[in-house]
Amino acid sequence: MSGVKVKELTFGYDEKLVLDHLSFEVSKGEILAILGPNGSGKTTLLKCLNMLLKPKGSFLIESFDISKLNKKEIAKFVGYVPQMHSPVFPYKVIDVVVSGRAPHLGFSMPTKQDYNNAHHVLDKLGLTHLADRPYTQLSGGQLRLVLIARALVQQPKVLLLDEPTSHLDLKNRVLVLKILRAITSEGITVIMSGHDPSLASVFSDKILLMCNGKIVSYGEAKDVLNRENIAKVYGVNVEIFERNGNRYVFPVVI
Amino acid sequence: MLFGACMGISGASLQTTLRNPLVSPYILGISSGAAFGAALSIAFWGTGYFFFTQPSAVLWSLIAIFLTFSLSRFRGHYSSVSLVLAGIIVSALFSGLLALIQILIEPEKTHTIVAWTVGRLHTVGWRDVATSTPLAILGILGLLVFRWRIFLLSMGDEEAKSLGIDVERERVFVVFFASIATASVVSVTGIIGWVCLISPHITRFIVGSNPKILLPASISVGASFMLVADLISRTIWTFEIPVGIITTLVGAPLFLYLMRRAMHEWS
Repeated sequence: MSGVKVKELTFGYDEKLVLDHLSFEVSKGEILAILGPNGSGKTTLLKCLNMLLKPKGSFLIESFDISKLNKKEIAKFVGYVPQMHSPVFPYKVIDVVVSGRAPHLGFSMPTKQDYNNAHHVLDKLGLTHLADRPYTQLSGGQLRLVLIARALVQQPKVLLLDEPTSHLDLKNRVLVLKILRAITSEGITVIMSGHDPSLASVFSDKILLMCNGKIVSYGEAKDVLNRENIAKVYGVNVEIFERNGNRYVFPVVI
Repeated sequence: MLFGACMGISGASLQTTLRNPLVSPYILGISSGAAFGAALSIAFWGTGYFFFTQPSAVLWSLIAIFLTFSLSRFRGHYSSVSLVLAGIIVSALFSGLLALIQILIEPEKTHTIVAWTVGRLHTVGWRDVATSTPLAILGILGLLVFRWRIFLLSMGDEEAKSLGIDVERERVFVVFFASIATASVVSVTGIIGWVCLISPHITRFIVGSNPKILLPASISVGASFMLVADLISRTIWTFEIPVGIITTLVGAPLFLYLMRRAMHEWS
């Protein structure tokens, strides 16, 4: 069954088209990595997919047209992990994570059951020891994981992540991506943006390479990541190595 | 105490919702609107008709908050920042109008207006308490019902939206309830400064930032703060000093102290 089906998705501010008739499909439980230069429309695409922005075109999640649902219903289908989160108040980690229950709760306060749920997700991500810490004191990697935990507590069908590995060290990058790989086994479809073609090749099933709001190439790493495409999109000469079916992309400096 | 309760919870709600620990109900123009309304009624009907002063103050503070909302609309959206900026503009506008009234009318009326803007409790009678209580309770209950949503709103607009919240509409509700709670008491006491700004900070210091506990607790902290301030204002001198002067004089240094402690904790 198809997880996510996007057809002719178009979005623009005033006259300027930011996303130009994008069509792609991701199967249930797959990871899609969106690559492209800064300003190519990656974040805009993610925001369209959870209806923070209102795009034209059709967008189905497991055959539901989510553009017809209200915000609360959408939030039960789609979880979103932003690139930046600036904490203002020193809330406890567990309280932040439990806020993911919001679309299931409405106006009532989270119950013990909801807190158990949140603790369970924290356990799964190996964050149990952080539960009662103020989330203003976390490191970048920990904060990212806490936000992922919150999105998982939402119990979404699709998880959108805006550059989940940015500003993280190598260990945390791999940790985050491994966690994403693990949750797809529960039938969650993951769509994330990123900047590292090699990591995308290792950790994702499909890659969408975009530039100026258009799809340049879409498919498996071996079809998308080649020297011509990278040169076209980034204007950089690269050398590509292949090992165990993964592609490793390095820039060539002359 | 009712005054303190209203101010405590309104301040706490607005600070959390707008993600800004420096916001108070006054910053959104509520107080200057109320002051203008009171001054207008004093100018027209004189000081004897306090019956008119209160409704006029409530009315104008609601007009002020409405104006703040309309000005902050940008491309059909209300953001927290534009709301605060618009509030400052509206406050300035009404302060200007207030000054204009003060210049135009008789000196003895001006004196009443000045006393009103400083904020005092000794002229407040039981009848005033009776008239402001229903509105105040409506505002407080509204905010308490919303406290889980207020927590969600404090995650920031985009994240709250992705959690399925109609951010703009719910923020309007929060500001509305905070406004009526504030207007209900400010309209009888005048502008007693700093309580709304400082009570939430004291409360946060004691019970933490989560609105689940912060909001109910800020009610009692606000009320206690007012009680103490009132006690001081009655006993410190041979006559009663307007309590607004006390809250400001005590509030400013206390705020500085809390600010330093909080900065240490947050950074």
